[in-house]
Amino acid sequence: MSRRIRTWVLLLGGLGVAVLLFAASLDLPEFGGDRHPYGARAVEAALARHTANVVAAVNFDQRAFDTLGEESILFCAALGTVVLLRQTRDEHRVRPEPARVDPPVRRYALVALPVTLLIGLYVVAHGQLSPGGGFQGGVVVATALHLLYIAVDYRALERIRPVGLYATADAAGEAAYLLLGAAGLVAGTAYLANFLPYGTFGTLASGGVVPLLNASVGVEVASGVVVLLASFLDQAVEIEDATEHTASGPARHPTLPPPSEEKPT
Amino acid sequence: MNGWLLAAALLLLVGFAPTVWGAASGPVRRRIMAQNLATLVACLAVLLLAQGYARPSYADLGLVLAVLGPAGTLVYARLLADELAGQPVRDRVARGLDRAMTPLAALAVPLVVVPLCVAAGPGRAMVKLLVIGVLLVGGNIVSSRALSGRRAGEKAGAADE
Amino acid sequence: MRPMNDVLIVLALALVAAAATAAVLARDPVRQSTVLALLGLALALLFAILQAPDVALSQLAVGSVLTPLMLLLSVRKVRRKGRADGRADDREQETGSAGEGERR
Repeated sequence: MSRRIRTWVLLLGGLGVAVLLFAASLDLPEFGGDRHPYGARAVEAALARHTANVVAAVNFDQRAFDTLGEESILFCAALGTVVLLRQTRDEHRVRPEPARVDPPVRRYALVALPVTLLIGLYVVAHGQLSPGGGFQGGVVVATALHLLYIAVDYRALERIRPVGLYATADAAGEAAYLLLGAAGLVAGTAYLANFLPYGTFGTLASGGVVPLLNASVGVEVASGVVVLLASFLDQAVEIEDATEHTASGPARHPTLPPPSEEKPT
Repeated sequence: MNGWLLAAALLLLVGFAPTVWGAASGPVRRRIMAQNLATLVACLAVLLLAQGYARPSYADLGLVLAVLGPAGTLVYARLLADELAGQPVRDRVARGLDRAMTPLAALAVPLVVVPLCVAAGPGRAMVKLLVIGVLLVGGNIVSSRALSGRRAGEKAGAADE
Repeated sequence: MRPMNDVLIVLALALVAAAATAAVLARDPVRQSTVLALLGLALALLFAILQAPDVALSQLAVGSVLTPLMLLLSVRKVRRKGRADGRADDREQETGSAGEGERR
């Protein structure tokens, strides 16, 4: 296709999208209005199942099957990263040199790590009550562990991060979600149906399976992100390939531009 | 008219908008400092919004941001350490931010958190606000320090602890 | 409450638009990453203002540490590989100011 034809195809497609979007927007409920045909039903269903956070009720109860797909996306992404960024035969590991970190920064990180971890667990555990849930809390938990790399040293992180264990936990979290769905079938209802007692509204034990699904997503996301970042960190910090190895020496690459930090622009 | 929302809007306009400009132009150090300031401003704005909408649970956003904001700045400080080291700070904005950041955090955080505590009254919400305030001030002192390029010992007297 | 809320929405949308434009215009990945961090914060504020705290929390969790960390690690690896400069250094001095000048 020549450039002209491609431009025309693009314009035509864009025009079609614009027309359809405009037509659809004519039927939307008024922006910020009081009438929400879908929202009202979702809120009603969430309250009937004693889940204070309606978003959690939608994600893990009313449309739990959608969330299974979303969870699997991260699982597949972590899997793909591990395969793509694995250590190949012509690559070898070097021990990273210990980083020099300002002592106050190091002390802050050592204090902030448990605090961040606790906040992440809090966000996971309160998914059915307040904003947040397994995904958000899981990412915060994984971030907490990486404070060790950010402000202490990569070796310190490696000590508390046996990647195999986290990969297993990743799979276990994904499996827990699938099995909790199947438990609904065993209990005599549908796949991923909310079959547990709903509990008291506004407490940690409310919402039936919602907190359990949240916890399994939390485990999956936290370990998935740890595994994902482990591949990235290994490649960036430890693994060198053959070219990097053979080219080692004091001579710098001739095309390297001169360092130009703080250049006034 | 809701005073809390008005305060949040003003904070976005005079606090957050300039940091977008600061993070999008100039040398790397200044950009990271702008990012550091932006997390502080965004966290305070979220707390004001939570009070303005009368939704105490929105304060969880502030709680998460209070720990992740400084951690994000430390990511830049760690992975761009070699770019930050060496050259002196020549950019005027960066030098100003370097000097102003810690006093600003120490001043702005109580200025926002204390009225919010008074409005919340004693209880769990107030404890959460105070925790957020402490995390914010501590985190910002440390992240500004990590960025300023001062070596340990040089200004040991000004260190926290 | 209503007019104030509209002001907040317009303000947050303007901030998102400004940060997103700046992110597109920045050419160097390192410099772009700081703009992306700001864009993430602006988006989180917008979501909070539109009463979607769950989405805002997701944005904050991913955007404030995870994205910059992955971006900067990738940049470090690519630059090291590009230079093929051996094991000796983590002294990634390059700021890649090429392309930056075009913009202003």
